[in-house]
Amino acid sequence: MHRAEAELLHHLTRRTFLGRSARGIGGLALGTLLTESLSAATRGQPGLPHFKPRAKRVLCLFQSGGLSHVDLFDDKPALHAHAGQEIPPSVKGSQRLTGMTSNQSAYPVVPPLRPGRRCGAHGTWISDLLPHHQRIADELCIVKSLHTEAINHDPAITFMNTGNQLPGYASIGAWVSYGLGSVNANLPAFIALVSQGTGKNPGQPIFSRLWGSGFLPASHQGVGLRPGAHPVLHLNNPPGVDRPQRRALLDDLARLNQAHAAELGDPETLARLEAYEMAFRMQTSVPELTDLSGESAATLDAYGPEVRKPGTYAANCLLARRLLERDVRFVQLFHRGWDQHIALSRQLPNQCRDVDQPTAALVEDLKRRGLLEDTLVLFATEFGRTVFSQGKLGDPAMGRDHHGRAFTVWLAGGGIKPGIEYGATDDFCYNITENPVHLRDLHATILHCLGIDHARFTHRFRGLNVRLTGVEEARVVKEILA
Amino acid sequence: MKPYPVPPLPASRLTGLLLALPLAAVTTAAAAALDYNRDVKPILAENCFACHGFDEAGRKAKLRLDVAAEALAPRANGPAIKPGDAAGSEVWQRIISPHADEVMPPPEAHKTLTAAQRETLRAWIEAGAPYAEHWAFVPPRATSVPAGAPHPVDAFVRARLRQEGLTPAPAADARALLRRVSLDLTGLPPSAADAEAFAADRDPRAYERLVARLLASPHFGERLAVDWLDAARYADTNGFSIDGGRHQWLWRDWVIQAFNDNLPYDRFLVEQLAGDQLPDATDSQLIASGFQRNNMTTHEGGTIPEENLVNYNADRVKTLGEAVLGLTLACAQCHDHKYDPVSARDYYRLFAYYNRLGDRGLDGNAGVNAGPARSLRTVLRTGEEADLRARIAALRDSLARPDPAVLRAWAARERARLARRGEGFALHPVKVRQVSTPNRSDLDVEDGRVVVIRQAGDLAAIDIAVDLSGVPGPVTGVRVVVPPSPDLPGGGWGRGPVTRAAMAAKTKGKGKAAAPAEEFKGTFRLTALAVSAGAVPGDQIDLHQLRALAGVTASSWDPAHPPAGCLDPRNDAGWSPDLAATGPVHLTATLARPLQPAETPFLNVQLNFGAGRSLLPERVELFVITGTDDGTDLPAAVVAALGRSGGEDDPAVAAVLWTHVARYAAELAPRRVELANLEDRLASLTEPFSTMVMAVADKPRETRILHRGDYAQPTEVVTAGTPAFLPPPPPGAAEDRLGLAQWVVMPGHPLTARVAVNRLWRLLFGTGLVATPADFGTQGEFPSHPELLDWLALDFIASGWDVKRLLTLLVTSETYRQSAAATPEQLERDPRNRLLARGPRFRLGAEFIRDHALRVSGLLVPRVGGPSVNPYLPFDLWREVSHYGSTPATAQVFVQDHGEKLYRRSLYTYWKRTAPPPSLAAFDAPNREVCTIERGATTTPLQALVLLNDVQFVEASRAFAERALRHPERADDARLRWLFAEGVSRPPAAAELAVLRGTLARERARYARDPAAAAAFLSAGESSRDARLPAPEHAAWAQVATLVLNLSEAITRN
Repeated sequence: MHRAEAELLHHLTRRTFLGRSARGIGGLALGTLLTESLSAATRGQPGLPHFKPRAKRVLCLFQSGGLSHVDLFDDKPALHAHAGQEIPPSVKGSQRLTGMTSNQSAYPVVPPLRPGRRCGAHGTWISDLLPHHQRIADELCIVKSLHTEAINHDPAITFMNTGNQLPGYASIGAWVSYGLGSVNANLPAFIALVSQGTGKNPGQPIFSRLWGSGFLPASHQGVGLRPGAHPVLHLNNPPGVDRPQRRALLDDLARLNQAHAAELGDPETLARLEAYEMAFRMQTSVPELTDLSGESAATLDAYGPEVRKPGTYAANCLLARRLLERDVRFVQLFHRGWDQHIALSRQLPNQCRDVDQPTAALVEDLKRRGLLEDTLVLFATEFGRTVFSQGKLGDPAMGRDHHGRAFTVWLAGGGIKPGIEYGATDDFCYNITENPVHLRDLHATILHCLGIDHARFTHRFRGLNVRLTGVEEARVVKEILA
Repeated sequence: MKPYPVPPLPASRLTGLLLALPLAAVTTAAAAALDYNRDVKPILAENCFACHGFDEAGRKAKLRLDVAAEALAPRANGPAIKPGDAAGSEVWQRIISPHADEVMPPPEAHKTLTAAQRETLRAWIEAGAPYAEHWAFVPPRATSVPAGAPHPVDAFVRARLRQEGLTPAPAADARALLRRVSLDLTGLPPSAADAEAFAADRDPRAYERLVARLLASPHFGERLAVDWLDAARYADTNGFSIDGGRHQWLWRDWVIQAFNDNLPYDRFLVEQLAGDQLPDATDSQLIASGFQRNNMTTHEGGTIPEENLVNYNADRVKTLGEAVLGLTLACAQCHDHKYDPVSARDYYRLFAYYNRLGDRGLDGNAGVNAGPARSLRTVLRTGEEADLRARIAALRDSLARPDPAVLRAWAARERARLARRGEGFALHPVKVRQVSTPNRSDLDVEDGRVVVIRQAGDLAAIDIAVDLSGVPGPVTGVRVVVPPSPDLPGGGWGRGPVTRAAMAAKTKGKGKAAAPAEEFKGTFRLTALAVSAGAVPGDQIDLHQLRALAGVTASSWDPAHPPAGCLDPRNDAGWSPDLAATGPVHLTATLARPLQPAETPFLNVQLNFGAGRSLLPERVELFVITGTDDGTDLPAAVVAALGRSGGEDDPAVAAVLWTHVARYAAELAPRRVELANLEDRLASLTEPFSTMVMAVADKPRETRILHRGDYAQPTEVVTAGTPAFLPPPPPGAAEDRLGLAQWVVMPGHPLTARVAVNRLWRLLFGTGLVATPADFGTQGEFPSHPELLDWLALDFIASGWDVKRLLTLLVTSETYRQSAAATPEQLERDPRNRLLARGPRFRLGAEFIRDHALRVSGLLVPRVGGPSVNPYLPFDLWREVSHYGSTPATAQVFVQDHGEKLYRRSLYTYWKRTAPPPSLAAFDAPNREVCTIERGATTTPLQALVLLNDVQFVEASRAFAERALRHPERADDARLRWLFAEGVSRPPAAAELAVLRGTLARERARYARDPAAAAAFLSAGESSRDARLPAPEHAAWAQVATLVLNLSEAITRN
């Protein structure tokens, strides 16, 4: 392969090298063209990173549906004092609510479902629904002042994942893949894993645009990794075809393609040959990745019982660690079912049980293996939930509506200050009182940890230099950086 | 489908050579006088206009550099630009300033002028700073065709090549040209025989005849449609949120027919923009008006209708801009455009044309089109009806007439099954661990066994998690028992079907007592049943561990709703008990493979009651069974008939049995599938179907400029109108969409014809004359051949907007017919081939790669149009992201089609926006959420995996090999030559043939050693294979076919 590429390069450029050295720069251009074709999938954009990165990889644990900051991270004495009472109009304000609660006659305050405790050196409050999070509090930077303009799922989750509420934009993972490229020649740079929550199944729908490439080249879209027979779609040889046989066929294919490419002067065919080789390598690298037989019982136990059930959030967490170990640039889990409009008391504990232990185990596992220091971990959702009830107070069917004005996410790992809280909400965890962080700021901060200045990281599309953080102001939240 | 996207080379390396700069710069700066539009404006736009351009709100220092009057006007410190005097121009001084607080562009803009750009600006100022109107905003200028070539395209292209000192490439050889033009105009390759015949044709008019034949092919319309479907963001689902199904294929088929009919492009646009407003609008014109209904829509509860409507109209304006006008209008939704003179007012005046549509902000659920919709017949004229009717009649006849052999075999099997019925049967109660459903909370479990659904509701999928510990194995199936209750209407088993009126009354009286019992026996409909089992408990069904079901039986059934209906996960079929039955009723599902409670003690069963209208039971008891089910799926009359030994020889008995056999027997499934497919096809050509159209509301909404584009911040009222910076509508044009359409196609419009010509050019040459086909504005690229573009645009208008004529003109040029082989000099001088000194080469689009494989394999079913189809999918990607089980929306669960629907052209593949077809998406097909004008052409490992392993392509290899083995010449070499030529339209060279021989020999040896592997390989796909072919030989040839289908040349248009 490599010899053949070199030969072709020579064939294509020999005139330059032999007879036209005065214009050798043209040869350079051609060489660049060819090299770009051959390795565009693995190289990032020129000039990136802009500065020394603190993180090499990103792990995004996306809780789809709207995780309740009120119940899990943002308890306040006032919630108990005002339990069952109408939220003060001065707090609620007059801004819009979703069509699901905008017609309610009452908006009574509902305190967190379960008690919690202050944990870690900082004494941050975490619900007893997340006992394992309580244990790792010192690793987390909990941002309690995230906000978004979106108040419904589709626009909100699209906004959080692509920087725009409307479709057509590139996901964060695609941006990172595009900008920084891949450091693993055997696996894609961006891998997405989806699991169903047990609180609400199926949860709110999700969309391939959340890991899509939008206007960026499609080679940067997230590749799905699933349990079962097709961990990556079409990965397996068809029945009746074995690996040596496939190898031989690919060699024949390379022979035919190389000859033809040389005759026609076609660098794209060489790039295609390289893609076939990577596909062939993926046929072993993916099964090797998903084979958990080498994991110790202690490791498996740490992630909890569901780690043994392929396709669960727990199993995906363990896969995430294995992907990060292999230097996959951007790993994103989507866990569905965080949309507790109804039956909060039944659904929320289930959702928490799905994610709590595996998430904490993953953070600890990354730390133990020395990966946490250069992996940025983001535990995020598209919005929080209202402090007031949706439905009748006390009814088991009661839940909470969407709340974008203030909600909680946490970060950990590469470049992030551990064991802190940042930002605060009012007594009703309804409005932000200090250090607001717009989701654009979060995006800018993620890129910053990767050594990228969000303002300079652009892609030309439809006459604009488009960027992840869009056209509005965005700032790196320097205060949470280590 | 541009060539492999290569980012621009770092300019620093190229100073002086300008290789990778926009095309205009391929000419060295000294070679031609500076042209403001080509050379200067792009630099100003990129670096200056964001703060010193059209957007008043964003303007700094009250300085505009985009209009001469302001840039050259006197200012306190002297003019910004002093014509003829760079040193005396503030702009120049700022550019060269060494001070960070003075230099322009300022450091925070992260923009740097290269030395060459500075020099251009300096030279331009020195030359008098001549401004010019933006080239694309003035009507095309008539130019005379340069001398030097008989064909106008060649004349323009060669004039430029001469300037550059380049010579055109020799003509492509006949076979390559045939393949190129066939793929370009029909999206399908020629056969090997076509290639030989064309190569041997000595008629000087052979190529013209070929082009005429391709343009007359019904596949021409399909080929042209694909690009327009991208632009129009056509899809089969609503897109937002739950992404339910919609029906818009009548519009898609209108597009195909319009191209095939060579509908003049101006009419093509007018009918799509305002077909509903034409006088005496025809059904066809109404269908056409669906163009601007292809936008995504939502019925997500909780979203705000006013906001949704703004999004819809914004998408329509954006699409109008990018697909028709070549303008990026979307910027002006929030503020005046930074680069082009599009004000927010202009934007909302365009918006106002669409804001009069009577659509609703939340609509389109349950597979019912969002309004306004009409029920109309297709415009396709395929002439198939007579043939379809004949085949349908023949199939019905064959299914109606008992086939004694089939009947005997079936009866023997069924008797054996009945004999085993209840063998070792035992029923085991199970412990219910948990019961849940996503959107309600009224489920209880009584005694740890009985699931109680306390309230009525429209529909629900109920997940029951059970513990099998203590149950003896192997468990062979699951039984669902539903007892009646005196509390239910008519003392029945369920709560439905309630009428829509009763549902509405109940919803209104929320929280109050249920409406009085209606006069019916309450029943339910189980629309789907799914089972998963595992070693780890889970509360809900595990999508990744679904257990296949061998069959279902029931204690009784309503003849219209037999138990087999719940094997289809969609909501439209299902089991309901016979209303005459009394006492508890039950359904039993037998697992394809029994399970051992000791290994997988945790069972999950999902019962989907998805039919709506409260067709839900009140109580459900779940059991598992061991042994053989004691029930049957045979009607009592059939069981009785089978009870008489040899009864099928009695014609009366046989008739009873055959009615059942014809409907259900596995042997006849292919015939039933074929019949159903043909009936669907006939209906799609003859019956009315719903399609979304444009209309004007009785009380049209008022349009206001929205501050920052926010629906909640309306400001002043505007009326519909066209942008102020473009020529006004023709006299007499109304202020409605028809007026807009008339403006778009008026001959003096500077954009419409150029944009159209450019897109058609791009289809044939890979890159447009304007490389940014959706953006002809300031930030777009200057045309590579501006005079040619104008000449073509004027010629196009003069021809009556004749698309086929234009394509004929382009493909008959020598420029198009050049060889695509690139010499090192050419690659070096013009890597992206913008000067066209060689033929264009690019990878085929996603659809055409699959179509190519279907064609050469002989599997392609070349029917044109009709409802979209669901070919193979390796995993239920829909259900993975959907809201299945808690919504009446369609397209929540994937159900594969069979028979001919597996082999239709790829543009008919069902396009679910949130989970687009993965084998097409791998090759850069867009998700059709928004207007797409340029697809990428990436090269990825996933593409290799699709071509090598997707069952669609594996099956194609198998069928392709079968064609080779049927080749009349029996020698290996002859067949290898044919296979290769059929795949790439040229015979193999000796060295290539040698490789193929080696492949064949090796694969023969491999499969001779392992015939079972050969059989396994040949099992791919649902099409039948000629069983007379020895499996090892067939499989070996299929590997050679795989090799040919994977050649880079096979998926490239050279």
